Amino acid sequence: MSAITEVRVRPRFSRGRLAMLGFVVPALAIYLLMVIVPSLQTVQLSLTDWDGISDDYAYVGIQNYEDIVASGRFWNAVRNTLVLGLGSALIINVISLVVALMLDKLNHAQGFFRTAVYLPALVSAFIMATIWKYLLNFNFGSVNTVLRDMGLPEWARDWLGDSSIVIWVILFITCFTLGGNTTLIYLANLQSVPQELIEAARIDGASGAKVFWNVTWPMIAGAVTVNMTLAMIAGWVIFDQVLVLTSGGPGFVSETMAFFIYKVGFGEYRAGFGSAAAVVLFIVVIVSTVAANAYMRKREIQA
Amino acid sequence: MHNATTRSARSRLLLATAGLATSVLALAGCSGGSGDEAESGDKTTIRFLYATGDDTWNTVVDQVVTAFNEQSDTTEVKLDPLPAGSDYATALKTVDATGNWPAVVDMRDTLTYVNAGKLAPVPDEVTELLEPDAFAPAEDGNVYTVPYSALNGELGMNIVYNKTYFEEHDLEVPETYDDFIDLLDEIKANGDVPLATAAAEVWPSDQLWKPLAAPVFAEYSDDGGFWNAAAAGDAAVADLKAPLEELKMIMDNYVLEGWQSTADAQTTTLLVNEQAVMATSSAGLGRLMDINKVDPEFDAGLFIIPDEDGKINVLKNSVVGDTAGGLAISSQAAENEDEYASAVEFLTYFYSVDAANLMEKDGWISPNIVGSDEVVRNDTIPGAEDFFALLENPNLVWYENAPTLSTFSSVNTFFRQSRIEMQDGQTTIDETIAKVQAELDAQVAAAG
Repeated sequence: MSAITEVRVRPRFSRGRLAMLGFVVPALAIYLLMVIVPSLQTVQLSLTDWDGISDDYAYVGIQNYEDIVASGRFWNAVRNTLVLGLGSALIINVISLVVALMLDKLNHAQGFFRTAVYLPALVSAFIMATIWKYLLNFNFGSVNTVLRDMGLPEWARDWLGDSSIVIWVILFITCFTLGGNTTLIYLANLQSVPQELIEAARIDGASGAKVFWNVTWPMIAGAVTVNMTLAMIAGWVIFDQVLVLTSGGPGFVSETMAFFIYKVGFGEYRAGFGSAAAVVLFIVVIVSTVAANAYMRKREIQA
Repeated sequence: MHNATTRSARSRLLLATAGLATSVLALAGCSGGSGDEAESGDKTTIRFLYATGDDTWNTVVDQVVTAFNEQSDTTEVKLDPLPAGSDYATALKTVDATGNWPAVVDMRDTLTYVNAGKLAPVPDEVTELLEPDAFAPAEDGNVYTVPYSALNGELGMNIVYNKTYFEEHDLEVPETYDDFIDLLDEIKANGDVPLATAAAEVWPSDQLWKPLAAPVFAEYSDDGGFWNAAAAGDAAVADLKAPLEELKMIMDNYVLEGWQSTADAQTTTLLVNEQAVMATSSAGLGRLMDINKVDPEFDAGLFIIPDEDGKINVLKNSVVGDTAGGLAISSQAAENEDEYASAVEFLTYFYSVDAANLMEKDGWISPNIVGSDEVVRNDTIPGAEDFFALLENPNLVWYENAPTLSTFSSVNTFFRQSRIEMQDGQTTIDETIAKVQAELDAQVAAAG
């Protein structure tokens, strides 16, 4: 009887829940309107010849997708995106893990070094890229000036204009910017590894390397999954650095998929074509991220 | 005692209202609206969107707007500059995507925006201040853009050079294309770098290309222009092979290293620092003014690369409203009576003698206004005599090349990037021609 009373007193949609729902609905509505609906609309627009400005457009079927597949420019952007996405994910994670291990061992001034490592992450990618653009300028930049002053003029390069190295320079700058968060996540996980496990391994005679590979590494497998996923997604959608440093040049050589979408959709009045490229980018991000996650999760289970 | 389950209806209502208010605020923030376009006190505030370029143009805009604001009782114009180096067409499209058009806009790709109904007609009270040949109506009979400088076409697309160096080495301004190559050879033989140019932004790549391609473009001037002929199949990108070969040869042999990442404005510094004897420019008098500001002692001159016969071919499209850039009033502003009136008031001032004198004083050649006779011309800028001499040069040949293809800007941007790619050695000239022809064909087909 009392249970029945309880049900009556606490209906499924109590006033408290409605109030909470009241807080959620506006944000949800904004998210739907600003993110989900436009995203779905992108699929529709990818089948049109819309110029992005006019009120009218015509449906062209899968013409935009056919053009994308046949476009050498697009595949160059895909290659760059893969280099930056996978490259930055691997490099950032290796460096961040090493730095986190060093920070974890520190007994003094840990706060200072943590701050120093994290500081670059506080600067926006746009600002950081602008600073690097000045540093790497061929004629006036500090990097080449120092090299010339050191008697190494042959080492001076057009870092942002040499098509054979420019994508690797962007990769370097990207890694420099994005490492702070990754390091902190690793550090937090390292500090949560149970000390008794490490001590037990040491008592059993395990070397430092063996302790790391057999105890620490499996225990931070979850952090590796999270960090690799976040770094890959950040790499797939790299835009600011490319816009500031090279505008995709010289020529088209450093265009990434995100930049390509922006360029054709906004600069070349081909919103339909750009939308189709965005859909392809979405598929690449989903497939690669899910595949990488599946592999890493499997490793977590094995651990 | 209060807790979550015993909270009164009043407090719940208060919380719900607060949540709703927060979301409304967020939505209001997202909606953007008309931004700064608003009536503040007795004055209507409007925005003027323009592309920042060389220092001279930036100063002109700033001083004209400041002077206008000081004398106007009804309008305040706020500057909305787009930073140098940005792709202005892309930025303009982004402005459109946000639905936040300024009242007065420095237009590019005008036809696209006219067709989309984004621009309002410029009224007679503005066009009456201009000489009749300084503007023209679009196909629908309305005038959508009015000029922001004198009608000298691309006369400002020059080679700026170090006059002192020329005098010291007994060098002459070239009278033919072969003379120009000889000049480059002589400077190189002296152990100096002949030419600085820029391609960090895409558009400055035109500065060396257009004078080289001008003889070919000029051949099609009477037939509607090269690009219209190419769109109709009466010309082909392959017809530009010879100037592309000249471009590649000059880039490979005479241009200062690092051009791929050099910004347009940096070529002034490279010239003044004597890292190169000449530099490409598209700012005409403005570039001379900039050089003078950087180093008042530097003796600069300018010339245009002539063709093999000594003709100086310069683009000067007829002022058809469809393709000409210039200042425009946005349709969004025209929906508000006050904003439209303020935009008209500003343009009326822009074409006054007072504004023209301000422009001339800053080194800008003012638009062709009816009151031109009262304008005090500025011939004090070192090297300015070279610019004005070009206008009197008997070898000067004006040609037209105004594309009517509404998506030509896509082709043009693609061509610029492809040229840079070719100049850099990433592709061959034949590959570049094939790519650009394919792009042109695709755009023509898409335009129907």
